[in-house]
Amino acid sequence: MNGVVMALRGLYGVWLREITRATRDRAQLIGGISRPLIWLLILGVGLNPYFRGEVYGEVRFVIPYTYLQFLFPAVIVLNIMYTSIQFAVSVIWDREFGFLREVLVSPMPRWLILLGKVLGGATVATLHGALVLVLARFADVTLSLDQVAVALALMFVLAFGLTSFGVILAARVRSFEGFGVFSNTVILPLYFTSSSIFPLDPALTRAQQAVTYPEWLVFLVQINPITYAVDALRGVLINFNQFTPGWGIGVIVGMAVLFFVVAIIDFARQ
Amino acid sequence: MLSGGMISPQPGAGPVSSAIAISVDALSARYGGNTVLDNVTLEIRRGSSFALLGPNGAGKTTLLNILSTLRRPDGGSARVAGADVVRQQTAARRSLGVVFQDSSLDDRLTAWENLEFHGLVYGMAPRHRRERSETVLALVELEDWRDEIVRSFSGGMRRRLEIARALLHEPQILFLDEPTAGLDAQTRVRIWRYLDELRRTRELTVLTTTHYIEEVEGADTICIIDRGRIIAEGSPEALKAEHGSRWLHLTPRDAAALEAIRAARPDAQLLGAHGLALPADDGASTDAFLTAFRDRLTEVRFQDPTLESVFLSLTGRQLRDRADDRRNADKAAGRRGGRR
Amino acid sequence: MSAVRNRWIRPAVNLLIVVLTLTALSYLPPDTSLADRQKSGVLKLCVPPSYPPLVTADAQQPGFDIELTAKLAERLGLRLNVNRLSSIGTDFNPRNWSLTRGQCDIIAGGVADTVQTRSFLETIPTPIETGWVALSNTGQLPAAGGSVVVLPGTSGLDRLQLSGWLRRQSLQVIPARSPQQFVDVLASGRAAAGITERFLTAGMALPPGSRTFWLPDAQFSRFRMALGLWKGDQTLKRALLSALQATEAAGELEALESRYHVETIGKAP
Repeated sequence: MNGVVMALRGLYGVWLREITRATRDRAQLIGGISRPLIWLLILGVGLNPYFRGEVYGEVRFVIPYTYLQFLFPAVIVLNIMYTSIQFAVSVIWDREFGFLREVLVSPMPRWLILLGKVLGGATVATLHGALVLVLARFADVTLSLDQVAVALALMFVLAFGLTSFGVILAARVRSFEGFGVFSNTVILPLYFTSSSIFPLDPALTRAQQAVTYPEWLVFLVQINPITYAVDALRGVLINFNQFTPGWGIGVIVGMAVLFFVVAIIDFARQ
Repeated sequence: MLSGGMISPQPGAGPVSSAIAISVDALSARYGGNTVLDNVTLEIRRGSSFALLGPNGAGKTTLLNILSTLRRPDGGSARVAGADVVRQQTAARRSLGVVFQDSSLDDRLTAWENLEFHGLVYGMAPRHRRERSETVLALVELEDWRDEIVRSFSGGMRRRLEIARALLHEPQILFLDEPTAGLDAQTRVRIWRYLDELRRTRELTVLTTTHYIEEVEGADTICIIDRGRIIAEGSPEALKAEHGSRWLHLTPRDAAALEAIRAARPDAQLLGAHGLALPADDGASTDAFLTAFRDRLTEVRFQDPTLESVFLSLTGRQLRDRADDRRNADKAAGRRGGRR
Repeated sequence: MSAVRNRWIRPAVNLLIVVLTLTALSYLPPDTSLADRQKSGVLKLCVPPSYPPLVTADAQQPGFDIELTAKLAERLGLRLNVNRLSSIGTDFNPRNWSLTRGQCDIIAGGVADTVQTRSFLETIPTPIETGWVALSNTGQLPAAGGSVVVLPGTSGLDRLQLSGWLRRQSLQVIPARSPQQFVDVLASGRAAAGITERFLTAGMALPPGSRTFWLPDAQFSRFRMALGLWKGDQTLKRALLSALQATEAAGELEALESRYHVETIGKAP
């Protein structure tokens, strides 16, 4: 019993440190708001004339939503991806500047240390995702409290998985500079091939889909796990799914479990 | 080679297991093909102050890493406060406080938050945590800086905070890796005085590694380590007595006197242009010499043995390579400068 | 305790700044649709020539959608310009109605708030409900093997779902091209029942004795009728929505509903 309380204190300590560091860092917060602003305000509004209807019955993307509404859940996922994967910088920082040793000589088991760190990173990433929700009005997405609660839960599990993924990357990348380049080459392709900014129309048959988009692109979108995360959030926030609704949740939970287990194995080896 | 046999439990100090804080048995470690620790055996008594003295790269930090469970040994075993450092890591860690050679503070948190983090990670209850934090901050005289971000701290202040942090959870054993470098003399004295008191009252065991002679003069036991092997162990006095020499430094009145002395004592060595040094371990012959040459000397001075000279006579090398030191300092400064 | 307070002040301030900034930015207009209308002072409404009771030819009772839109336009300080276009409803594919942004700001008189509609238009639902209804003398659909005449209409109900369901019920489908043909087939007895969209029945001269009923709720959900706007006209849509809410709050909406006898939501028509 006493051991559990001590473990929980340790977990809280590691979590609290991540939260304190992240919320104190203005640069990180600015990143957290500049991305949704660029994607929703600039891209969403800028491309709006190309996606709006000119003749009744004729639109480029046959989805029952506006382009802004369609983009909105994807921007949340983008914000979570950035914050989660950039979290690896904190892991590298700990390793390079010696703080890691302070934790490693403590009585906390390593998996618990990692859990605390990942929970902290996931909390910050969820917060950054939630910042996008403030723009719901702009995107004409009306949200009920239930929707927000379910969305936040999904966002947290997604952030947990992606943060673990960041830790796995950190174990393989040695320098900060290398990581900066690396994270961008990982995040942006994942984002663009997640059906985030263009739909694979479910109303079309598979044959038509392949005509609209080349087979290889459809394939990339379909094997990208982020596709299903975006889809799950769309299901919750604008009630629109391109794929079987259960898949998204399954993929999000699966990523969280898989990446965390691999991260533990990596971390124990250090 | 001397072994750990010089240290034995004091008579009537109770069972051996409780009197021994750290025991190291035939420990060896390798990095790639290099042997960093070679069959090291030690025992450190509870409440003692034990110093590992050796040049950079002697294997001190590796030994400390093994003892603090950060690294597995490649052979042999070690116990810390009765817990095996490989099989009972959690128990071993709980009994340890560690001050690392490089800063391991989070420099984006305040002093207080660094302590709070440490207390939480060691599972301390909120009230106890606060009380201890106040105490250790007062010890290192950082009360006024408790809510300042560590990034703004000087090297010495960081060092003090780290020592405070290592003591926060009241460990039985304290590891200090090159501990007091960068501290002013006053603080150093104060911290050692406090540590000595903890050793007396709570049987705190202090294990220090250093390549600064000044750090270890106050230690109970000094263990000289070089190239991964223990080459001498004992109290400072015993080491000096055994391996050091006392010298008589003198300045002859003129060149003729100098020649006369050198003729009489072939073991005399030249010191600079006009000085001479004579081995002075044999009191009788020194007295005879002084009686004979008293009138032909302008200055006479006895030089007691130092640990530096002990190390010199044991290894044939200087303990400190000054150029090497400077390089390390530059490296550390460059790294700090590169910090975001 | 003061240390705990201090620690959270800065993050809280940061967060507050961020949330306030985002909230302020969320009030930026995403397009110029409202500003353009206000500049011209005209709101253009496109409706079919007749879709009772939403659109009628009677100048005294011009129809629910027309009166409602007029009230909304008044609240926005715009003059309503009603375009009655005979092309509306002539083909099941709205593309062939050739309605363009230049002609219409709002499309009404037979737009249902369904996924199909929303694929092409933004919708502002009105309180009126629609859905598939059936007509027969017995008040029931014929047994398997019987024939039904179907007039799918153009308001955006899911015709694929209907035909699939009819196939599973083993009913023969006689497609009707116009309300007149629908009535003729029913009257001739070639079909035991007819299925169409609720409001299409309003303009029909139905054979005497026929009863109207909703298709089973379990399979067919009912939909609200709506005003259709162009996608991307968010500012106009928001202005119209808040005008609608004001109309409702003033009780005018309810008055309008009872005037056109469309308030019987949930009851069989």
